[in-house]
Amino acid sequence: MTAILQARSLGKTYGRRDALTECTLEIPPGHVVGLVGPNGAGKTTLLKIACGMLAPTTGHIEVLGNQPGADPAQLARVGYVAQDTPTYSNLTVADHLTLGAKLNPGWDALLAHARIDQLGLDPKQKAGKLSGGQRAQLALTVAVAKRPELLILDEPVASLDPLARRDFLRHLMESVAENSTSVILSSHLVSDLERVCDYLVVLVSSRVQLAGETEDLLAQHHRLVCARRDQADLPDGLEVILADHTDRQSTFIVRSQTQIPAGDWVADQLDLEDLVLTYMERAAAPTQSQPPRGASR
Amino acid sequence: MIEFHLDARSGVAPYLQIVWQVRQALLLGLLAEGDQLPTVKEVVTKVVINPNTVSKAYRELEHQGLAAAKPGVGTFITQSLGQASLADHAPLQEELRAWMRKARAAGLTGPGIEAMFQSTFRENPEGEK
Amino acid sequence: MIWLTWRQFRVQTLSTAALLAAAATYFLITGVHLHHTYTADLVACTPLGSCDSTLNDFQHSYDMAFHLNELLVVAAPALMGMFWGAPLIGRELETGTDQLAWNQSVTRTRWLSFKLAGIGLCSIAVAGILSYLLTWWAGPLDHLNGNRFAAMTFASRDIVPIGYAAFTFALGTTAGLLLRRTIPAMAVTLAVFVGIQILMPTTIRPHLLASTTHTFAINQATTSQANGIYGNNGGAELFISGLNVPPGAWVISAPPVEDSSDHVVAMSEHLNCFPPPPNGTRPEPGTTKGPGNFAQIGTCLAPLHLHESVTYQPATHYWPLQWFETAIFLALAGALSASCFWWIRRR
Repeated sequence: MTAILQARSLGKTYGRRDALTECTLEIPPGHVVGLVGPNGAGKTTLLKIACGMLAPTTGHIEVLGNQPGADPAQLARVGYVAQDTPTYSNLTVADHLTLGAKLNPGWDALLAHARIDQLGLDPKQKAGKLSGGQRAQLALTVAVAKRPELLILDEPVASLDPLARRDFLRHLMESVAENSTSVILSSHLVSDLERVCDYLVVLVSSRVQLAGETEDLLAQHHRLVCARRDQADLPDGLEVILADHTDRQSTFIVRSQTQIPAGDWVADQLDLEDLVLTYMERAAAPTQSQPPRGASR
Repeated sequence: MIEFHLDARSGVAPYLQIVWQVRQALLLGLLAEGDQLPTVKEVVTKVVINPNTVSKAYRELEHQGLAAAKPGVGTFITQSLGQASLADHAPLQEELRAWMRKARAAGLTGPGIEAMFQSTFRENPEGEK
Repeated sequence: MIWLTWRQFRVQTLSTAALLAAAATYFLITGVHLHHTYTADLVACTPLGSCDSTLNDFQHSYDMAFHLNELLVVAAPALMGMFWGAPLIGRELETGTDQLAWNQSVTRTRWLSFKLAGIGLCSIAVAGILSYLLTWWAGPLDHLNGNRFAAMTFASRDIVPIGYAAFTFALGTTAGLLLRRTIPAMAVTLAVFVGIQILMPTTIRPHLLASTTHTFAINQATTSQANGIYGNNGGAELFISGLNVPPGAWVISAPPVEDSSDHVVAMSEHLNCFPPPPNGTRPEPGTTKGPGNFAQIGTCLAPLHLHESVTYQPATHYWPLQWFETAIFLALAGALSASCFWWIRRR
């Protein structure tokens, strides 16, 4: 099967500002991908390029094996829900479904109406009068009912209250279960993605910092806490992602493809949030490397 | 039918939590041979989780020989782990009691014992011999 | 796409249709009356041989309506450019709904084609209908005025409004696409439109086709046909207006009277030819009246071998100019639309 998204040295600049730099990714199919990063990291830019709304400045991208947004067939295969889930405020809920039906040959009217029923939305209601959560659900319905192979969602739950958030993700996951759709969704909060994503991409300051299957990433990363030492004194095969030293103690976040060897340290696994924060921290302070040697020994 | 619940703070992979909860239900006698597990969709609706995770948990249960998938119908329990099975391991439990006494004698208290158990347990995750 | 275009444009279409119907009814009712009055007046006055004052009264009674109607037809393209063109893409970009619209299984090019064609043709049709109605309504008045080249008249008759409608609509659309906001796009559309309505009649239209220049020798024959002889610039220049250009011609420039060596003649140097009016002061603009008077001035000036060169577009250029100007604005509309397609594709 072709990759959901394959990017080589993808870049986008606005004027002189880099929104996306040297982005190289290959995401295998069948995943729910979480794209995490702080606000302004370039998540929206990457997603807009992936659905064809933006053209990259440099590099190459294929989504489901084709150029994004190239033709109606490609547009039909990718569903996109933009940030703040825009809808036509003066069109009714029913109008939005008609819009979907008229503009998408693969439209699943049964699915769409069933979902609207399930959500308890009044078809005659103007979209402008819906709550944020309802609007997000409507936008998701329009995107899901066109039966895409890949759904791209940009910060879909950012503006929703916890209950609406959970409802939204529930419907999203149900669609994944029913239609085996692949999903890429972005968020600046890991907690939104923890349960639903099985693939993680961390994007900070326009660059991809980390990408891989969530479980593999969690298995590979450990926190080593030990008496203060230089990172060069750690065993080979451990890639130090982040090091933090007090006068007595050193804490390393390490990545290792194999089991962490036993030693005079405590090795703990990281949860997803810590893992993401580690990479964000590293990207924010790229000069961290060697601790001051022997400064306080 | 049983329901699953996930603990995000436990640090245990969600699919393993499901596997454990099935095992627990078997041990407690809530599930018996021939019972159907909730469908992937039902689990997804209930706990808002990636369906792949549920599928993975069910595959793991199949791998452990506890369940079998009937295509188009669902996943069914194929083996009971009644109370008897805990009793089968009485010698193990006796060993653990003995170890616990030793630990207390060595001055370890509740949290210390738990930490040691957890860290030892993580060094040898399920499935590894 | 047809459904979506219609659904999003429904309110505007229906309200415009209602307004158009109202305008048409108004034009028909007052127009029938106008035409009827005109023929009746002609029938009544012709045997008496004194139609001038009757027709003058007729003309004046419609003065207000005439100018308002011209304004309506000139303004219609601007309004459609502002209210239909500017929001077409601008509102979508402003509210983010472009991201909804352009992620259905329809390419942006196709989306824009339907929108531009559907609503663009609507605005062209509205302008065409209004122009047709006004051209018919004002027929007798235009005939009496004998000046089909007047700025507002030319811009509101026959086919030119169609060119303006297409152009302002494409202009509004492009402005909305580039500015990504509806209100600024509307302002830009209006500003550009007003600028063009000022530029066209003053500096562009006169030169679209080669004009004719006729040099009139100043003598009794020419001045007796004039309708005004006046000084300007404190008497440093002399103007004779209403020289005998072909009927219906559009006088583009009537420079001051010159002598045989092409120097501007100062009126103040030939005051002897301008008889003082009854109250004893020297003539000021428009104070010398009556053909008899003008003929005397001509006779007096004739030995000086003065001349005035009048440049004009002959009446026969009316339709070529209409076509030319329409074509220019249709071409501009096409270029703007093409740039919209280009922008929307490469975003």
